[in-house]
Amino acid sequence: MSVPRRRRAAIVALLVLLAGAPLLALAPAVPGAVRVAGVSLLWWYSALVAPVLATGIAIACLVRDRE
Amino acid sequence: MTAPVAVAVWLQPVLLTVLALRVAAGDAEVPWLALGALIAPLVALLAPTRRRAGSNPIAAAAATLALAMVLAADFVVAADAATLLGGTPWHGVGLAAGLTLLMPLLPASRWIGTLAPAVAVVALLLPLTAVALAMGTAPWSAWSHGSLRAALTFPEASEWVVDGERFPRPARLTFTEGQRVTALTAGMYRVVERDVTPPTVRQWRLGAGEALTLRPGDELSIEAGARLRFDAGRRVPGAPASGIAWADAPGRGPAMLPGALGALVTLVGGALALVPATRQWGLPAAGAPLVLMAAVATAVGWGVYAAAAAPDLALGGSLLAPLLRLPPRALGARTGDAVAALALGAVGVLLVTAAMALRRRLAATAGPRRAVWAAVVGLAAMLAAWSPDPWRLLVLGLGLAAAVWTPSLLASHRAAALAGSGVGAVVFVGLSGLPLLAPGVEAWLDALVRYPALVAMPLGWATARALGDPAGAGRPRARRAAQ
Repeated sequence: MSVPRRRRAAIVALLVLLAGAPLLALAPAVPGAVRVAGVSLLWWYSALVAPVLATGIAIACLVRDRE
Repeated sequence: MTAPVAVAVWLQPVLLTVLALRVAAGDAEVPWLALGALIAPLVALLAPTRRRAGSNPIAAAAATLALAMVLAADFVVAADAATLLGGTPWHGVGLAAGLTLLMPLLPASRWIGTLAPAVAVVALLLPLTAVALAMGTAPWSAWSHGSLRAALTFPEASEWVVDGERFPRPARLTFTEGQRVTALTAGMYRVVERDVTPPTVRQWRLGAGEALTLRPGDELSIEAGARLRFDAGRRVPGAPASGIAWADAPGRGPAMLPGALGALVTLVGGALALVPATRQWGLPAAGAPLVLMAAVATAVGWGVYAAAAAPDLALGGSLLAPLLRLPPRALGARTGDAVAALALGAVGVLLVTAAMALRRRLAATAGPRRAVWAAVVGLAAMLAAWSPDPWRLLVLGLGLAAAVWTPSLLASHRAAALAGSGVGAVVFVGLSGLPLLAPGVEAWLDALVRYPALVAMPLGWATARALGDPAGAGRPRARRAAQ
């Protein structure tokens, strides 16, 4: 995959991750309010899962790409 | 521009302290704001690079104003610090303005700008780690503990109970139970009594030491600078009703979707304008996302521990209250004050590095003249003197940059850049000024008034693309590292 295509794919992945937080919080039935190990799913996602994934995606792109 | 320097422009003290305070307060929007604060600059770092589309006076003027607003929001943080430490807001604003004017002139400023953001984030993380160790709870346990509180009440050791605290900005507090409030500064206090129909408004001129008794449902208006004392064990006015309400804000629902979209578009668009392309790739560039993640996680951590240990810290809206007041409560006065001083120092370093990075962005857009930077700092100090809502200032600054500056960066030639910036500017100003032109704005327009970039940026971008070859469509271009 070329560098621009990989970058575009990474940006789309980041934006999808970003959209996940309001969707979890605001969707009908409020799935984000479900507790997992005492913490709501919304906060597990917004403060741990999505940040780690997003940082990993960005690092992978920045480390591999050279312009 | 190297990746750490590109990140410094995003790590504004106001962004991190607002996140910490809003987490502590149980704000309904804060989960996606925190995620947006991390992902927006990552998108900007990875965004396809663009060719510079010639000079654009509209974008240059908007960039100057936007940077002044962002800097003003940072100065409000400094004003809050001065207020918490017993000074006047002007002490903080003056010191911050002086630092931002003088630091870029130092010979070591380039070295400071490269390493200091990472050092400051570590210095912000260390006091939080000390607090966590003293409390003996992991962040998720602290969150869980905070969410299980039956009621959010004033602890015995609260500064609001012992010596009283100042309100840095005008505030309106709604009381859910009867309570006595002692005014420690003379002034006018306005109470709206809502237990009668229609509600009755009473104004009281109180001297220092005089008390006011409030009933459930009463709303107390407080002037900026007023110092009040509350009774221990009573509910914190304006705070969520319980831990469950803090964890799952009752107002959260589908009606918030336009506002959420507006906030995220503003953050991403603002980052695209503010965070420049980096010329650094490979392993050295990997540090930038890690520093960003550590900074946002630290800000959220401060908010979570504040909510768990001291739910009254969000009262008054002082941005630095979690950082300065939580350590003494968790670690004792002596150690806690030293640890809080470290956190305050970290915020100070972030202020300086962020200002230096903003100055570079200004130089690349509006020219490198020192007089322009001095004018920006002066304008920011004047804006901060009004004691405005710092989040509103930051949103307006980022939104203006997103609406006017970003279309210019994405255009392929000068005419397209001018047209895109022009359309973005007109729509942004029109929506921002809507409450002045038409005071009874419809509720459905509320999200557009709060986040004008939600419409202004896409329209500006679409105009710039319609008038030129869509930049980045299928072939790589070269966005200059310092546009």
